[in-house]
Amino acid sequence: MSQTFLDSNELVLNMGPQHPSTHGVLRVILKLDGERVNGTECVIGYLHRGVEKIAENRTYQMFAPYVDRMDYVAAVSNGLGYVLAVERLINVEATPRAQAVRVILTELNRIASHLLWLGTHALDIGAITPLFYTLREREEVLKIFENYCGARLTTHAFRIGGLQYELYDGFEREVNAFCDWFIPKVDEYEELLTNNRIWRERLIGVGILNAADCKRYGVTGPVLRASGVAWDLRKAQPYCGYQNYEFDIPTRQNADTYDRYVVRMEEMRQSVRIVRQAVGAIPDGPIKAKVAKVLKPPVGEAYVSIEAPKGELGYYIVSDGTLNPYRVRVRPPSLINLQALDQMVRGALVADVVAIIGTLDIVLGEIDR
Amino acid sequence: MAAEPWEDELTRALAQQFGSRIERFAAYVGQNFLVAECAAVYDIVEALRDQWQFDYLAELTAVDFPSRPKRFEVIYILYSFARNQRIRVKCSAAEGERPRSVVALHATADWLEREVYDMFGIEFADHPDLRRLLLPEDWQGFPLRRDAGILDMDNRWVQENLGIESGQ
Amino acid sequence: MIALLKKILLVDLLQGLWVTFRNQHPKHLYTEQYPLERPKVAERFRGAPRLNINPDNGETLCISCDLCAKACPENLIVVTSVRNEQTKRKDLTTFTYDTSRCMFCGLCEDACPVDALELTQDFELASYTREGLIWDRQMLEEGPKPTRYTR
Repeated sequence: MSQTFLDSNELVLNMGPQHPSTHGVLRVILKLDGERVNGTECVIGYLHRGVEKIAENRTYQMFAPYVDRMDYVAAVSNGLGYVLAVERLINVEATPRAQAVRVILTELNRIASHLLWLGTHALDIGAITPLFYTLREREEVLKIFENYCGARLTTHAFRIGGLQYELYDGFEREVNAFCDWFIPKVDEYEELLTNNRIWRERLIGVGILNAADCKRYGVTGPVLRASGVAWDLRKAQPYCGYQNYEFDIPTRQNADTYDRYVVRMEEMRQSVRIVRQAVGAIPDGPIKAKVAKVLKPPVGEAYVSIEAPKGELGYYIVSDGTLNPYRVRVRPPSLINLQALDQMVRGALVADVVAIIGTLDIVLGEIDR
Repeated sequence: MAAEPWEDELTRALAQQFGSRIERFAAYVGQNFLVAECAAVYDIVEALRDQWQFDYLAELTAVDFPSRPKRFEVIYILYSFARNQRIRVKCSAAEGERPRSVVALHATADWLEREVYDMFGIEFADHPDLRRLLLPEDWQGFPLRRDAGILDMDNRWVQENLGIESGQ
Repeated sequence: MIALLKKILLVDLLQGLWVTFRNQHPKHLYTEQYPLERPKVAERFRGAPRLNINPDNGETLCISCDLCAKACPENLIVVTSVRNEQTKRKDLTTFTYDTSRCMFCGLCEDACPVDALELTQDFELASYTREGLIWDRQMLEEGPKPTRYTR
């Protein structure tokens, strides 16, 4: 029904950069036709710190703490990607003990990252309670990090060639206790959310991004897996000994926001499964392979990517044989996933934009670098 | 360690199709890459996508080598889900040369090319909307070029606005 | 039919409310009453820097080797020393540490060959001035003195 007497101009609405549900300083310019979104434009870069330029002026070891500050809710994953890339350049492999510990910490970090995502995403939708519970559980993970390496968020847990810190007494016990305690908590979140009618109404059929579009936009991580592609770098191109652990890649077919929620919940359970296997079989031995103190990788370049909680996190490092990397390029999963936002929100309601930004699980520190 | 030659079914077919437009195939630390001339990259990426199932552009970036005659190296990292294989396409671009945008082939290249433009000043031909991505629009210079000083903009700002020589 | 009954009887909502109710119990309290209750931080916690002194004779352990300053990514440590002609060693004169730029990565304490520089468990580093965040040798040896609140 057309009502020609009404002025049907497009309304432009500015969302952010100081908007609580953009999870940082993201500015989205929405073009609205009534309640429908006709298009978006993302304005990013408010948190740009020039990490890639900083890398050119630091030695390889010195740059490691900076990568923690990109995706600050998954600092351990960032660190892992970086040290693996440098290790590839200097052709060193971390010791088996170091690899097992790396797997444990990275998977715990994946749980912490997904927990923060779940809490804030539910908060965006209007469910306040899960946030308190997820932060409580995340606290336990952060305590393990604090006990292990002395920092909770920007951990700087790994060093090139292995680890800096030996495990503390009771590490295995604490991690096992966390695993036992955590699984019922996931069931608790599911009790709160999975069958909740508001949650389902708000999420099912919202923000669909099918497998073909995911590949076109380069979207990876849980968003890709919720569209039915069972692709996980831990399985596809295993690194750090992931081939030794048994775990499944959860997938769903509908590619909507609800499915991405289900996939992430299942991923947390799979992470616990990996942690349990890894913590039960930490090999003895040195924690750090022999790496020169003055590190000068041979001239060349390498691209190493890992499965971060948000998708494929890649590091492309070019060495010119000197102390400092010639170029460090980070492939941030959040940036590339965010690019699909426009496709996902077209035709959706304004209220769904919040849900769709939440479901992409973006961290602005990583987008802007 | 030096780059080793890389030869298999894929390289033979590509060499036949593109001939001298691909300079060499090589592998370094177990990662395959090919070096091509800048004008051929679009066709190579298209052939890889359509004939060889490299349907995911993982990364598009650039590196600046001011001492080379063609100072920029543009890098495309492609991945094939079906083959579980990665391949790196590299080309050299001189200052002012305009590589053809691959947005038409991979939508993900949109922001990546904008970022390369933002950081290095490489303009991509046929890009739908080539603007700065991360930096403000009134930013001058391209910070990831090797000769860009990190304090240039700071110093210029304090000189103009505060009348002092340097803020650092 | 069962689905309809469940919908009318608000089973999904009651289920969620039950979870909330279960967590009401005081034993699930997690909130920390800082500053009245002070958290116990981990042994390896990387907090305020400290320059250790030898407890026996009160002399600094630092040998002025400058390795921490070289390891620091932010370049915020400045060490100066004079050569002592009698012992043929370097004596530490000043040691400044700019905590305002520190990101507590721990590379300096890793680099220290004599365990003189250490990141301690003190975490209250706030200051009213920028100058107050630049710590000199005396401050580094004594440690920060935050106000203690008691119940």
